[in-house]
Amino acid sequence: MKRHTYVALLATLMSASAWGQEVSLYGTTMAQMWKEATPGSDKATFTPATQYLGIDATKLGSDNLSLHLFGWGRADLSDASSFDGSKSGGYLNYGYLQYRFNQANAEIKAGRFTVNQSTGFEQVDGVAVRTDLRGGFTFSAFGGKPVLYRTVDPTSQTDYDFQRDLIFGTRLAWRSGRVTEIGVSYLQDGTKAAKDLTIPSATDYTRKQLGADITITPTSTFDFRGRTVLDLANHPALAAGATEPSKIAEHDYTATVKLGSQVAVSGNYAERNFFAYFAGTNLPSLFRQDEKDQFKGWGGKVTWLTTTSFQMTADYRHMHRETFGDANRAGGDLRWDFNEKAVLLGVGAHWVNAVDAKFVDPAAPYRSLSHREARVWTSVTKGRFTGSLDGIFQRFDSGNPYLAGLHSVYEMVGSLGFQASTNMKVSGDISYGSNPVAKHETRGLLKAEYRFGTAKKGGK
Amino acid sequence: MARKTILQVLGLVLGLGMLMACGLVSPEASFAATHPEGLGAGKPVCSECHTNDVSKGAMKPYASFDHTPAFVQDHRFQANQDVNTCGSCHAQSFCVDCHGGKVPMKPAIKLSESPERMAPHRGDFLTLHKIEGKLDPSSCYTCHGRANNDKCRACHR
Repeated sequence: MKRHTYVALLATLMSASAWGQEVSLYGTTMAQMWKEATPGSDKATFTPATQYLGIDATKLGSDNLSLHLFGWGRADLSDASSFDGSKSGGYLNYGYLQYRFNQANAEIKAGRFTVNQSTGFEQVDGVAVRTDLRGGFTFSAFGGKPVLYRTVDPTSQTDYDFQRDLIFGTRLAWRSGRVTEIGVSYLQDGTKAAKDLTIPSATDYTRKQLGADITITPTSTFDFRGRTVLDLANHPALAAGATEPSKIAEHDYTATVKLGSQVAVSGNYAERNFFAYFAGTNLPSLFRQDEKDQFKGWGGKVTWLTTTSFQMTADYRHMHRETFGDANRAGGDLRWDFNEKAVLLGVGAHWVNAVDAKFVDPAAPYRSLSHREARVWTSVTKGRFTGSLDGIFQRFDSGNPYLAGLHSVYEMVGSLGFQASTNMKVSGDISYGSNPVAKHETRGLLKAEYRFGTAKKGGK
Repeated sequence: MARKTILQVLGLVLGLGMLMACGLVSPEASFAATHPEGLGAGKPVCSECHTNDVSKGAMKPYASFDHTPAFVQDHRFQANQDVNTCGSCHAQSFCVDCHGGKVPMKPAIKLSESPERMAPHRGDFLTLHKIEGKLDPSSCYTCHGRANNDKCRACHR
């Protein structure tokens, strides 16, 4: 979106907020500081200041009309902290007017908003509608211009901007007997294929996807939900003799069973075919369709929620990547809360065993992906004061080429906060760690969070 | 003349379509825009107060929305199908902490004083991502595949 469009949209929406009978303004101001001294490079000091700001204005002339705005801005007070060398930046995450009808959960949104009702998670400058229909049906649709992001270089950017000219999607779902929901959705992102460019490109930033989702919750003790996404795009013809890649982008299904009031067991299966799943990425060099790789993962989690403020979770996941082989992740977390959640304490440990990884890269030994992780944290609230400590430690198998000779990395974060008033909290963090980039790394952060106004919801 | 006729027919079809669509709309009252009661600290267990009996009017068992560790990790399904339910307690700015499209810092830094919250990339994830990305790049793609990836682009060109 062009800068003058941002200004016009913000001016319109912010002036509209003045009509609201209930307006909430909330924000967070953050100042960070860290220094870098890398051998062979100049020393650098980074002091980025970041401002988040949100507005929720409800009852704009009508009880049903509301306005929602959220964005951030950043300025570097010393060296540039951004990788592109810029010393300032900002972004409007969303800014839309919403009308909620009293009937049928119907609503209309217009402006910049996020939709996740179809196969993807999309940021759109446009219009979205949804409503419940008779007979248990639900309908939603959106359309507009996709929010464009940056890609790797100016040539790719031109192609990307040209192809992603329009985005629209829809979902039709049916609820049966209040225990089952089945949805079918369609998403089209861009109408101009790579072959339509002045200089035809091999990279297609457009997508056409068909999704199906399901939920089955016959009782409060069983919940099954998931989705399958198909890639409908017409991709360039393959070379003679090449294997046709799967059109299934994703299967992702989770079932949860509750055993009594304290124990829940959940299992998940996911399968993703990269050729179809990575369609439309703006980083084709990283999310490579041409690898025609596949990921399959399955696992489970057991959660024990006791009535005495103790929670225990154990999890296991098996991961299989076609070109890299198998890996297993297992671990657990313990969590306590004392004095009506005034004191929280958590301990966790996880292991990743990638002994069966077939190939990492030509220079790396087979076991280099295996590692272990431990985490301990606590947070305390006493009167107006809050404090927290968070430590995370990772140990990697010997021979890991990514660690510059280190076997382990760690980071500790300590935070102190003061609730100055109902509407304002100030806090400060200091973190210390050691990693392959910096043997000793110390960072400081100051934060002020505030919220003013009368609207019931906002910021949380 | 022909153009005028086409427009008239199109208008008639659209008008009839709108009338039919209005007749299809559910007569049920909308879900509460905001949760009527204040909630205590920490993650709510909806089924502690709400009935789970679907035969007594709940559209789905509220237990489906209990904020257990599994729910926090897999909330995409509920957000996909029941965004109105999420919206009765959460403003969209809550989602933006992680799902912002373009954010100035990783969620673990923004939420550093809340270690009890699930925040992706705690600790030195710059090192860990080289391993996690090889085990399952599709887990990275969910957030980074089509968003603004200034940091990714610095190396992955």
